This record gives sequence, structure tokens and C-alpha cells, in this order.
Amino acid sequence: MFFVDTNVIVYAAVPCSYRDPCLEILEAIGRGDAAGRTSTAVLEEVWWIELSGRAGDLGGLAERAYTIFSPLLPVTDDAFRHALSLPAPSLGPLDRVHVGTCHTHGIEVVVSADAGFDGVRGVRRVDPNDDRARRRLLGSRPE
Amino acid sequence: MYAHCMFKERLQILLSTEQRRRLEGEARRRDASVASLVREAIDARFGGVTADERLRAVTGIALMTGRFLPPDELDRVGEEERANALDQLLRDAAR
Repeated sequence: MFFVDTNVIVYAAVPCSYRDPCLEILEAIGRGDAAGRTSTAVLEEVWWIELSGRAGDLGGLAERAYTIFSPLLPVTDDAFRHALSLPAPSLGPLDRVHVGTCHTHGIEVVVSADAGFDGVRGVRRVDPNDDRARRRLLGSRPE
Repeated sequence: MYAHCMFKERLQILLSTEQRRRLEGEARRRDASVASLVREAIDARFGGVTADERLRAVTGIALMTGRFLPPDELDRVGEEERANALDQLLRDAAR
């Protein structure tokens, strides 16, 4: 199983070098061919970005992402406690909560364009543009 | 939620002692039946969204034309929007 970060969802909706790989990831999850999950916290972040208008017209992105990823991973007490104890100065509170959520649900891989996850204890980042790592990941079957 | 449903399928499963203890504890806490909790868990984990609906959502996203922001700026947008909402809330409360 792997965790899908906010930027993967946003970049799937934005013309950029990340777009096709991110769409490939979302498609594989939508077909049920890849065990990608995300959390309520990620979709809240997507929703704020959508509502801000600062990343262009992303109307309906949070709702579509919810359709793809439902049921979402909850941010639990345990996830938050882990986030608070994480020695990761490169990460802000929300990214720490994502790592805590991974920890709680036994997820070791975060798919993200954010290099801030590199070197964080307990998770390994896969960049969507890393073709080899991405294809290996998408070969994984849902549990 | 299940008031108008007919349950016709019988499923017998094996659980660990710990899983049964947790399930019965939660049922007592909520004053609900163990069976209703199992049905609720199935709906939550394997919700009602079909693969076609998920793929239609992906197609919808593929048609969007947003604007690229680097990952750290995306993080900032989320944080600032939340902070702005909180500021507004505090301003409203102070009125």
C-alpha cells in the first residue's frame, strides 16, 4: 500500500511535467490496480487549494479526488501523536500528520513531488516523475 | 441506515479473540449489535463507489487546466488559506 500526497492530486489537474505520471497513478487506483490511499487531511488541503483559486481553476477537484479515494484514511489520535513526536524539521505540521497517518496504517511509501519527505524516518518517498519507482509501485495489488 | 434493507446473505467468519473483544466492546459502547458494526465496517472500507465512477472522476481531473505551483508553494497556499479562515472567524467573533 502507498500514500498519495496532495501535490499528486493537484498536479494531475495542472499542465506540467508531473501531470501524466500523476494521472497514471490516479487511473491505476481508480481501476483498482494499485493500492494507493489518501487521508481526510490530504483532501482538506486539496479543497483549500481549490477554493483559493491560486492554482487556477480547479473547481470540483476535491470532490473528484474523494470519489477516487473513498474510503479515506482517518487521521487518528495515534497518527497525531506520531506526528508530534517526529523529528523532521523539513516538514510542516500537515506533512507530519501525513507521516503519522502512514505510520498508523502501516504504510511505508509516500508518493509526492515534495522532497521534504526525503530522509524522514519510517517513510520512503517516490517521486511521481521517477518512472522506474512509479511503475514498480503501480504493479502492487490492493490488499 | 439499514431500516429499509433486507439482509439475506449469511456470512460466517473467524476472528481473533482480540478482534472479537474489540468488536463487542464497541457494540456495548454504542448500544448497537455486533452485526450492525460489521455491516458498517464493510460499507466504510469497501464503500459504494464503483470503478467506473472512480475512472470518470480521473477523466474529469484530466480535463482540468489549473496553474502549476511548486510543492512548497502548494503547502503554503493550504496553510495560508486555513490561517485566513481562522482570522476571519476571530474577527467575526470579536464583533
